[in-house]
Amino acid sequence: MIELLPVILAALAISIMGGTLSIFVVLKRLAFIGQGISHAAFGGVGIALILGIHSTTTAGTLGQLTIVVGFSIAAALGIAALSRSRNDRTTTNTDTAIGVVLSASMALGFVLFTLAESKHNHDDHGHAPHQDGHHLIEEILFGNILNTTWTKATVAIAIALLIIAITWLNRRRFIFWAFDEPVTDAYGQSSTKTTNTFLTLLAIAIVMAMQIAGVVLAAAMLVLPAAAALNLTAKLKPAFLFSIIIATTGASLGMFIGFQRDLPIGPAIVLTQSFLYLCTLLIKTITTRS
Amino acid sequence: MTTPVHPAVQINQVSYTYPPTGLGTKPNIALDNINFTIDQHTKLGILGPNGGGKSTLIKLILGILKPTTGSIKILGQSPTKARNQGLIGYLPQKIQADLNWPLSVKQTIALPRACNLKPWQQLTKNDHDAIDHAIELVELQDLINRPIGTLSGGQLQRAMIARAIATNPKLLVLDEPTVGVDIAGQQHFATLIDTLHTQLDLTVIIVTHDMRAIAATTNRVACLAKTLHFHNTPEGLTPAVLAQVFAHDVAGAFGDIHIDAHLADSCDDPTHAHQHQHDCGCDHSNDSGGDT
Repeated sequence: MIELLPVILAALAISIMGGTLSIFVVLKRLAFIGQGISHAAFGGVGIALILGIHSTTTAGTLGQLTIVVGFSIAAALGIAALSRSRNDRTTTNTDTAIGVVLSASMALGFVLFTLAESKHNHDDHGHAPHQDGHHLIEEILFGNILNTTWTKATVAIAIALLIIAITWLNRRRFIFWAFDEPVTDAYGQSSTKTTNTFLTLLAIAIVMAMQIAGVVLAAAMLVLPAAAALNLTAKLKPAFLFSIIIATTGASLGMFIGFQRDLPIGPAIVLTQSFLYLCTLLIKTITTRS
Repeated sequence: MTTPVHPAVQINQVSYTYPPTGLGTKPNIALDNINFTIDQHTKLGILGPNGGGKSTLIKLILGILKPTTGSIKILGQSPTKARNQGLIGYLPQKIQADLNWPLSVKQTIALPRACNLKPWQQLTKNDHDAIDHAIELVELQDLINRPIGTLSGGQLQRAMIARAIATNPKLLVLDEPTVGVDIAGQQHFATLIDTLHTQLDLTVIIVTHDMRAIAATTNRVACLAKTLHFHNTPEGLTPAVLAQVFAHDVAGAFGDIHIDAHLADSCDDPTHAHQHQHDCGCDHSNDSGGDT
């Protein structure tokens, strides 16, 4: 059981972070941007691999994380810059911007994976067999939290706490921006700065969530908790509280079921959170009818 | 030594040109050499056709855009400084706020004030007093705990006006405030603006293409179609002035259709206007640079 402790702690820290940010993601309708960022992270992993940085050592883990986070932030800010209106003359709409960045990053990731694999084959010719490339891709796409070491867990917990702290410090600015972005500039709150700050946090959070749920499901951990919480309340503080409770309950139950039934943990957590969402939807339907 | 009384808004030779939006498009001159001064406590209506530069002028006054040429002072300071000090209240044309947010009416109105606090600070008694006073002025005190998304259109507009005045601004800018409001609502709105103007000692700028809103709420009017024409109407807007303004409005949509050819000519051509000043009831003494 003790060997699972870093896995459990990391998952809970990431869930609390996901529950906090997801209120903004849902109400500001950033779910698709989240998908774009998580898929862009795949390109970041490709860059780390082609540079020969593997997550087999502590230095490698931190190096790979830095590159992936950097690439994801660049992708998030790239999406924001592409879709930002220039003096009210929109250059590219957000959907298109996400579509472009997402596809380009995924394509770049696959190309770099292939190049890294052939380079590795060439370098290691006649030596010990290398890690199966397809298995690695699968891990990145769907996550493998069981690989979480104490190093990875410590980094994940520290970053999750940092993101929660920064969100708390900027909570009023974020709420005003997410509630009514078009007027924030008129009140001295730069919408561009706020957008960039939030998307940077979102990019880092998604890379953290990827460790649990992988590229494909990471964004779900930043959507489901708030979607469920907002079915239960129309008040601000309870919304954040319910979102965090639903995120951590989903993560705990998901991990439990995953460990018991030997299921992949990330998808088990996302499925549990989806189930909780359905329960809250049912509660909302019943209470609004009566 | 007394502190100088600055005009609420001072605009000197301001032009604004939007850059080309793509290949084969040209820069778009939205405002061309605008000059005007708005004294404090004025209620000014700015009337103009779509594409006449109304929104651009608002963004320049709010400091969201910087003029291509010229300068703007709000209460003697740059628009950015004035805005950051909470001296400008703003009601947008279209309320685009996400009404699904789990915010109460009071939380919504408090947002701009709360954003000026340090993260660890809470709203003080002064803040609460200012917010409560704003809520009373717009008569929403019975709804402060209601979710913002449950308000009717008229109530929501009043909540947004309360948000605009909760920072104790000196200048209130209203962008097309009467779009989609029925006659009874417009009368109520006019009374509300009058109350705010008197009780808060505000300078009010209403930008609109709705002549009824101008006639009901302002004591001075400017007509904006890339350049600016001023009309002082201390006795209120006369039918003659409205006819001129309407000529501009119609011209923006349908070309040079004049309601009254003589009056409209006099406003389109300032040199001509001076000759007919008496006839049209306008005072062009504030026109500067001839055509601006």
